[in-house]
Amino acid sequence: MLACRDRERLNLSSMSFIDPLYPIFIATGFAVGFGHCIGMCGPIVVSLSLNLKDKKFLIPHLLYNAGRVVTYSLLGGVMGATGSFTLVASHIAGMQKGAMIFAGILIIIMGLAMSGWISFGKIFGDSYNAGGFVSKGFRRLSQLKSPAAYFPIGILLGLLPCGPVYTALLAAAGAGMKAADPFEAVIKGMGVMMCFGLGTVPALFLIAKLADMGWLKKREVIYRIGALLMISVGVYFIFKGIRY
Amino acid sequence: MKQNNSARGKQRHVSTAGILSLAVSFLILIGILIIGCWVATKPAMAADTIINCDAHKGICSQSSGDLTVSLEITPRPVKAMQDLVFRVSIEGASPAKQPHIDLGMPAMKMGPNQVALKSKGQGTYEGTGVIVRCPSGKRTWFANVSVPGSGEVKFIFDVIY
Repeated sequence: MLACRDRERLNLSSMSFIDPLYPIFIATGFAVGFGHCIGMCGPIVVSLSLNLKDKKFLIPHLLYNAGRVVTYSLLGGVMGATGSFTLVASHIAGMQKGAMIFAGILIIIMGLAMSGWISFGKIFGDSYNAGGFVSKGFRRLSQLKSPAAYFPIGILLGLLPCGPVYTALLAAAGAGMKAADPFEAVIKGMGVMMCFGLGTVPALFLIAKLADMGWLKKREVIYRIGALLMISVGVYFIFKGIRY
Repeated sequence: MKQNNSARGKQRHVSTAGILSLAVSFLILIGILIIGCWVATKPAMAADTIINCDAHKGICSQSSGDLTVSLEITPRPVKAMQDLVFRVSIEGASPAKQPHIDLGMPAMKMGPNQVALKSKGQGTYEGTGVIVRCPSGKRTWFANVSVPGSGEVKFIFDVIY
């Protein structure tokens, strides 16, 4: 009898995990994706697409978006667990600043490597050691020979500060605050942010696909513009990161 | 030796042409970015960015028909990324349901950020919320106070990042 009651309670508890916030934040992510993300993250996605050159875009961009959604979900889980947006936001501000500067440096290096204007030997100076851990890592990320490299890039860029992401995190913290127990709070926070992240994927995929079109990628001038765009975006990120 | 010199000359010529084409590409790119930003933000700016409230100084009042709404945000000065208390006084209408505030930016879509208001008696309502920081650096926000059955009033103000 008791076991039956416990099961019933468990079922009711799991039912409450389905929150009306989820569809709302899928729709929000979708709308914000086409309105906001294209402007803010569009240049990064275009850069990543151009950097793929002749390789297929689907898997790398799926991994990039998966990385972003993982970071959003983890942040959502933390927000849900604490139930306080301002508390967590103040703790991750430094991390976001660092992510913004690191992303800027990474994008500039990718741009320089893509353009072929400066070799890695010149970037790292005379002491450049092609077999060194840091150089190897940078070279792998900049050349992106393996699509798997897009996953950590997505994880890193998921940390970038962004107004609509903050709004979704605010909702995740609110959902956590209203939850019946800590586990439910974490799940709800993660759920809100995962839905938001998934909602933003179509817009970024569309941009990636547009930049991946064959006629566009075959033109050398596009690569030069792409490299300049990447370097400009990188400088913008570093500047914003320092001022953030 | 002559061949060497001519190759060097050709290389110098190519690199000058390359730099010129890069400069032109860069200028075109910057032009596209500036025009894109101008086109994207102009309609929102023109319609919505007339600041009608100095939230740092104290209470702001706005009217729409018979409805008069006063808004006070504390603590002052009003900063982003901190817990804020929104106090609303309503005159000329009795809300059919609890009123609420929608926070957003006139120039950018920020997603749903709603402050639920609870009655404190005598036409006053209170709720807590957060104005998030926009990394673009834009500081103008709005608080749209919705009074069910009576209408809504928009307060546009600057915040500190």
